[in-house]
Amino acid sequence: MRFFRSYPRIAISGGFILLICLAALTAPWLAPYPFDLQDTHSILQGPGVQHWMGTDRLGRDLFSRLLYGARMSLSVGIFTAAFAVLFGTVYGAVSGYLGGKMDNLLMRFVDLVYSLPDLLLIILITVTIGRGVFGIFLALSLVSWVTVARIIRGEVLKLREFSYVEAARAVGAPHRRILFLHILPNTLGVLIVTLTFRIPAAILAESTLSFIGLGIAPPFASWGSMANEGWSAMKFYPHLILFPSLVLFLTIVAFNVLGDSLRDVFGPERRMR
Amino acid sequence: MNRIVIRWAVIAGLVLGLAVLFIRPAVNAPPTSDPPAFRMTLSNEPPTLDWNLATDSVSFTVLINLMEGLTEYDEQLRPRPAAARSWDVSRDGRVYLFHLREDARWSDGKPVTAGEFEYSWKRLLNPKTAAEYAYFLYDIEGAEDYNTGKVSDPDSVGVRALDDRTLEVRLRKPIVFFPSIATFMVTFPMRRDIVEKFGERWTEPENIVTNGPFMLDEWRHEYKLTLRPNPYYFGPLPALGKVTMFVVNESTTALTLYETGDLEMANLPPEAIAAYRGNPDYFTAPLLRGYYYGFNVLKPPFTDPRVRRAFSMAIDRREFPAILKRGEIPSSFWIPPGMPYHNSAIGLPFDPGAARKLLAEAGYPGGHGFPTVTAVFNTGPENSLIAENLQAQWKRNLGLEVLLDNQEWKVYLNRLLTDPPPLFRLGWGADYPDPDNFMNLFTSTSGNNRGRWKNDRYDRLIRSAAADPDPARRQAGYDEAQRILLETDAAIMPLFVATQNWVVKPYVRGLQINALELLTLKAVRLEKP
Repeated sequence: MRFFRSYPRIAISGGFILLICLAALTAPWLAPYPFDLQDTHSILQGPGVQHWMGTDRLGRDLFSRLLYGARMSLSVGIFTAAFAVLFGTVYGAVSGYLGGKMDNLLMRFVDLVYSLPDLLLIILITVTIGRGVFGIFLALSLVSWVTVARIIRGEVLKLREFSYVEAARAVGAPHRRILFLHILPNTLGVLIVTLTFRIPAAILAESTLSFIGLGIAPPFASWGSMANEGWSAMKFYPHLILFPSLVLFLTIVAFNVLGDSLRDVFGPERRMR
Repeated sequence: MNRIVIRWAVIAGLVLGLAVLFIRPAVNAPPTSDPPAFRMTLSNEPPTLDWNLATDSVSFTVLINLMEGLTEYDEQLRPRPAAARSWDVSRDGRVYLFHLREDARWSDGKPVTAGEFEYSWKRLLNPKTAAEYAYFLYDIEGAEDYNTGKVSDPDSVGVRALDDRTLEVRLRKPIVFFPSIATFMVTFPMRRDIVEKFGERWTEPENIVTNGPFMLDEWRHEYKLTLRPNPYYFGPLPALGKVTMFVVNESTTALTLYETGDLEMANLPPEAIAAYRGNPDYFTAPLLRGYYYGFNVLKPPFTDPRVRRAFSMAIDRREFPAILKRGEIPSSFWIPPGMPYHNSAIGLPFDPGAARKLLAEAGYPGGHGFPTVTAVFNTGPENSLIAENLQAQWKRNLGLEVLLDNQEWKVYLNRLLTDPPPLFRLGWGADYPDPDNFMNLFTSTSGNNRGRWKNDRYDRLIRSAAADPDPARRQAGYDEAQRILLETDAAIMPLFVATQNWVVKPYVRGLQINALELLTLKAVRLEKP
């Protein structure tokens, strides 16, 4: 309760995200119908008692698909963000810590990946690997770690000049120990904030891919692919696009609010106090 | 800063959501522009207006109003005289003499001559033209040899202008429906002087010369085409002063334009049909267009006809009209209703039990050991709905997990040509209303037979049915051929026959929309309230 009073925005947004994650985890029990059950007698029904978010063009229950879609969207979001943060952190930290020529080389590679147009790269990867969760995961991971690497490198560049690092070096601590035990823990605040911003970015990227038809293969659904199925019928069956985009919208706002508030908590101005 | 952005984003999102819910069709307002203009849409930019090279229905929609062939269709889809006044057939059915009208004129005032037909047909067949529809005239003596490069002399082709008014066509075998072939766009006459003078740019509005009721006034690429009456047209001058065809890719956008009174007619997207049923503007009619999935019979597991039969029998085709909602006719036959020699008793029935049995006989009891197959279709909302439904039905009725993949149309066509997937979607719209046009597709020499299926008996049946003037024998021949194609060999699985769905303003009169998707506007007039 005290936490709620001190950090209401974190509590609300975090609570919402927890709720969505729980719903995704328990989708098989929560969903009233299998996500791929086609009932040709109840095609394109509006929201009602039987299907309380209505049905799609093949008579599939929209609510069930939305729950299963949450699994897809969230897992792609969380896993790609986790990979990006993990790999980006190590890469950026090593680069920043080593400095000099090595840093220059590593960072030019980051610049190279950065300069490639994301969407084009993702399309290329999914086309070569084929449609599927793995392809999307790989494609999104490969383009998203560079941002993290840059942020962490900057942070490490700053931290390694601190006197406690100098002290550690003076008592003869090995580089690995200095980097992972003394420097990295101090980037935790930045890391958490980055993570909360990477997740919605990944969810959005997956939705974009699914929306342009390169996402996961049917009969599976993600929020993006559901929005894609719904948008052309927007005028006559608004529920088809309304629910998936609403959930997508709320989730992304929640992640952003969370990240924003976490930054306030971990932010430098707070540390200075 | 961020907080404010988010707050505004929330508000904007809510407002947008509400706006979507409250959009309602606007009040219809008839156009006030003068002269009477007819405004419609094309689903994409016409790939070409060179009628020798055109292959698609968008180009056809424009060309049918710009041009006139030897013959044209009446309301019952029988060929009637157009640029030709009449024609004679030799006793053996192999030589046609077309007599041209004296008063037919091009839009620059010059008379239409038989030589311009000869030029056009030989250009179509010239291998250098590389026209995909060249095979359309293969029944003419020497045409195939010339087109495939076996003979290089164009004069060996059996089409000749005897004088300015008489065109002689010599066929390699009697063809009873040849006057129907002469309605098709690739056979329209062509001006050698124009084509040679302007090269590739001869179809631009400042260069093109046409002989139909309309002429091309303006072509702003990717935006619109404008047609005006051809003052030299021999028939009554069209009542429409102007026809504007806007290039609009999205059918929902076209519908919005129609509702705001910016179009006289629009194609109805499937999701709008329920909302328009009962509306006086709504118009639906059958099409001579079959939708099917083909098997690549050279790729396992579809080398086994039992597997192909099982796949076809596992599909309940009644689900398609329920999904697409346009009154599609479920079809296990191939020759569509509305075409002569149609027989609805042909084709494999929906029988999941028998299908599972066939699959077991082929060595896959209960679907065990069945390799992973991918069904490929060209990208599009209708195609993915059907594909996802098929996927679910195969899973439900055969216990098989079929993967789906889709590709953009041009990429897809190329793939079908070079390496057809084991299971692929295609459709076929009639070029002329004779079953030969549908059945010819799967002969071993057809350029459009993508499944690589070959059957000598089938080839012979199709060849003799095309030349047979006796209706009873033709019926028997096509029936047997369809049984081979669909039942014993199951080279393809037809799914449904498509329909067309339009909204047309009530003040539009005299519009003819036929089962071949030909939209002739020459008799259209607008009666404004």
